[in-house]
Amino acid sequence: MSESKLQRLVDMINQIALNMSANGGEQMVADQVAQHLEKFWAPPMKALITQQPLGVDIGLTPIAQIAVQSLLKIQQAKLD
Amino acid sequence: MLEFYEPQADYGTPKSTSTNMVTLSIDGVEVTVPEGTSVMRAAAESGVKIPRLCATDQLKSFGSCRVCLVEIEGRRGFPVSCTTNVEAGMEVKTQSDEIGKLRRNVMELYISDHPLDCLTCPTNGDCELQDTAGELGLRSVRYGFEGENHLVAEKDESNPYFTFDPSKCIVCSRCVRACEEVQGTFALTIDGRGFESKVSASQAEDFMDSECVSCGACVNACPTATLTEKSIIEAGKPEHSVTTTCAYCGVGCSFKAEMKGSQVVRMTPYKDGKANEGHACVKGRFAFGYATHKDRITVPMIRDSIDDPWREVSWEEAVTYTAKRFKAIQAQYGRTSIGAISSSRCTNEEVYLVQKMVRAGFGNNNVDTCARVCHSPTGFGLKTTLGESAGTQTFASVADADVVIVMGANPTEAHPVFGSRLKRRLREGAKLIVIDPRKIELVSSPHITADYHLPVRPGTNVTLLNALAHVVVNEGLEAREYIADRCDVAEFEKWVAFIGDERHSPENTETITGVSAADLRAAARLYATGGNGAIFYGLGVTEHSQGSTAVMGIANLAMLTGNIGRDGVGVNPLRGQNNVQGSCDMGSFPHELPGYRHISDKATRDLFEGEWGVTLDSEPGLRIPNMFDAALDGEFKGLYCQGEDIAQSDPNTQHVEAALRSIECLVVQDIFLNETAKFAHVFLPGASFLEKDGTFTNAERRISRVRKVMPPLSGKADWEGTMALANALGCKMEYSHPSDIMDEIARLTPTFNGVSYDRLEQLGSIQWPCNDSTPEGTPIMHVDQFVRGKGFFAMTEYVATTERANRKFPLLLTTGRILSQYNVGAQTRRTDNSEWHGEDLIEIHPHDAEERGINHGDWVGINSRVGDTVLRADVTDRVKPGVVYTTFHHPVSGANVITTDNSDWATNCPEYKVTAVQLSKVTQPSNWQARQKSFDKQQQGLLKDARH
Repeated sequence: MSESKLQRLVDMINQIALNMSANGGEQMVADQVAQHLEKFWAPPMKALITQQPLGVDIGLTPIAQIAVQSLLKIQQAKLD
Repeated sequence: MLEFYEPQADYGTPKSTSTNMVTLSIDGVEVTVPEGTSVMRAAAESGVKIPRLCATDQLKSFGSCRVCLVEIEGRRGFPVSCTTNVEAGMEVKTQSDEIGKLRRNVMELYISDHPLDCLTCPTNGDCELQDTAGELGLRSVRYGFEGENHLVAEKDESNPYFTFDPSKCIVCSRCVRACEEVQGTFALTIDGRGFESKVSASQAEDFMDSECVSCGACVNACPTATLTEKSIIEAGKPEHSVTTTCAYCGVGCSFKAEMKGSQVVRMTPYKDGKANEGHACVKGRFAFGYATHKDRITVPMIRDSIDDPWREVSWEEAVTYTAKRFKAIQAQYGRTSIGAISSSRCTNEEVYLVQKMVRAGFGNNNVDTCARVCHSPTGFGLKTTLGESAGTQTFASVADADVVIVMGANPTEAHPVFGSRLKRRLREGAKLIVIDPRKIELVSSPHITADYHLPVRPGTNVTLLNALAHVVVNEGLEAREYIADRCDVAEFEKWVAFIGDERHSPENTETITGVSAADLRAAARLYATGGNGAIFYGLGVTEHSQGSTAVMGIANLAMLTGNIGRDGVGVNPLRGQNNVQGSCDMGSFPHELPGYRHISDKATRDLFEGEWGVTLDSEPGLRIPNMFDAALDGEFKGLYCQGEDIAQSDPNTQHVEAALRSIECLVVQDIFLNETAKFAHVFLPGASFLEKDGTFTNAERRISRVRKVMPPLSGKADWEGTMALANALGCKMEYSHPSDIMDEIARLTPTFNGVSYDRLEQLGSIQWPCNDSTPEGTPIMHVDQFVRGKGFFAMTEYVATTERANRKFPLLLTTGRILSQYNVGAQTRRTDNSEWHGEDLIEIHPHDAEERGINHGDWVGINSRVGDTVLRADVTDRVKPGVVYTTFHHPVSGANVITTDNSDWATNCPEYKVTAVQLSKVTQPSNWQARQKSFDKQQQGLLKDARH
């Protein structure tokens, strides 16, 4: 895995979260960010960001971290 | 449709739009026409031609030539029919001995001062003066030809496309009036009086040195050979014509391609074309010579490595080679290791086939289009707020606008035919607000001065839009009833709480935007209270890290003031290329199928799977920047690029070049060896718009026919090339004509259900949606309700771009276009348009220039965080201090060597409009420019080897 590749995705999620920050409360914004990623990101990008170990600081902002967890749930729900 | 050449019908004076009808009698025949119609036009509409010289239906009646006089029962004398309007019960006589005598008298005077060289005149057989003399039965001229005349007057041949021969001039003023009324440039005038009067460009200058913008309106209007296209002087009168659609900007002008055999000798703007109504610009009207330029590549070529010489091969060998390499790449690296990029320069049918080949043939959704780098935020922003990814109006609707906002667009340069339409409305009194870092022409030009110019600092559009909305809300100027009826009120209330916050006030944002709070407040009040408010915007809005947010801010502002859903208002994205709207409509983005339906939607996938006989991937594919990143990560190895020059047009050139070098099989389909093709392994020769059938969809959602006027030079139109490749890949395609493709699009796309080539023949053009409920199309959208149901006020929090000026990079670079060149310049650089713009310049304010010791014309190094390049300086106050500006039409300029990877948060549209830079005087090209020159030389050599 290329570190710069992960960093690019982290930067993108943080940017999306920041731009959606006025949309509502923390969880609502995080869910909207997750839906945005689900809607527009290709599977390898989604896989790379959701497969990062929990608790490891990869540079995500707090809302972006919650968004990634929401995205993981969306991904898991699709497998069920 | 192919027609024998005939000049387009001319009714003498413009059509009246009145709905009140008037009945009169002309030569004993009862005629009913709209009130306000001239007698001349009423006669013409009833099949009676009244002779004329100074009248044409593209211009207001003038009444100077006195040839069109008639008799009207009960009126004294012989009224002039072009300036006399019809009245109920009027009895008009257009022919009598007396009328004939008077008309011949007038003609004698004209002819006494006109060369009688008809047989060798370039407009022989296509001259209104000649025709009129014939119609009047002129057989002699009593005044002789020996007196003082203008026969020795020198021709002005300075313009590359037309000549001005004063000896042929009858001083009818049609050219002067066309320049004023149609084009709005006011470059021409009549100098002198009486017999000495003559047409003069600017201050008696050559056309080329004057303010003339070479739109050709004067040439169209000229009834003699005074203003004549050089192509006609050289080739003679055309013998047939074909109606087609221009392949330059998103205005989508309709043209008659006038032909001799398979040679285009003239492109004449089509009066019945609804986007342009008989007007044109220097590109569409004259810059068509690239289609047969010697640089055209017309034979497929392949090579294993980009350092190898090209090898010319048959189409069959080229597509077989490509299919084999793509299959091998997928076998080795996986299904998603290949993809395609299509172009807005191609037809709807072509881009539809590209995305179909990717989804059904490649088995993934890795397809994207150049709209990614221009108007993808428009798609996102308008879909979110209004429910449809498209502009809301017709261009003609601007005639009903009272207040116009032009934001981040430069219509007179980039969308000139719309620019002329807009200027006409502004001269009639509509108010204008320009939001742009630069003083574009509309800020101050002949007879037009913007009421407010808000010179926004690059990167702060969202703050400015929020401040405008803040003023409307806090001063109680919103359209309450409209919002209550048409919008999601709960979301509106949330938004009001957000936008009403004092942090959005003009006073609190002044230091961010650089715009005077007083001007901003006044502009907001004007837009909210000035009547019909229309917003036109361009890439100065979308190409930012908050491009999508700004588009939503514009939609919010329009809904807030009730300015969507009728003539004269609306949200109007000015699309840069001819088919940006169409390429987006056709499912060219990786996340959606045609008609903007998400790929995850099972019902939509079922529909396409049923038609195509394959199973579709339900996940989005890679966007263009994702493709580059994946290529550099070794995961993306094959790319089919149709009609798009990503190496020149995408940001951070060095990053793009590195990505292209890492691709194992790059296939480029284009008409020239463009910058991207220099990195390619397969070159499939493309077809120009003159060589194929299809449709383009302009910025008004108007679908217009593109008609083949000459056979494809390579033997295949682009859709046939894609079809051949798809079939070689095992993705079966059997179309015998692009109309078959449109039929498939219509079957599968609800907004296109009613579109067919037959329907387009009947209606001329169609604005989608076109289906059972709107069989003739939809000129104005969101009339009774928004497509999404209730209008959605999106939150538009300002997030400053990370691309900021600092001590090292203290200036902000922004980019734009110029009238004579088009995008990457591949077409226009191969025409005489380069006489106006042979190189890109860097505009810098005198203050910033002086600080750096830079003089006008100096070579200047431009350094950004990602690269540097060198351009000549244009020291001008068009830009404000702290801002520099350049165009990007020449590859050697390397404008995108400087622009960064920053992009819109929602769509990844690059932030071309904001790059922090430093400028300094230099003496030699940049390292990149030196490398580019050397690489170009190598690749041109490899091409030359293949051709000989």
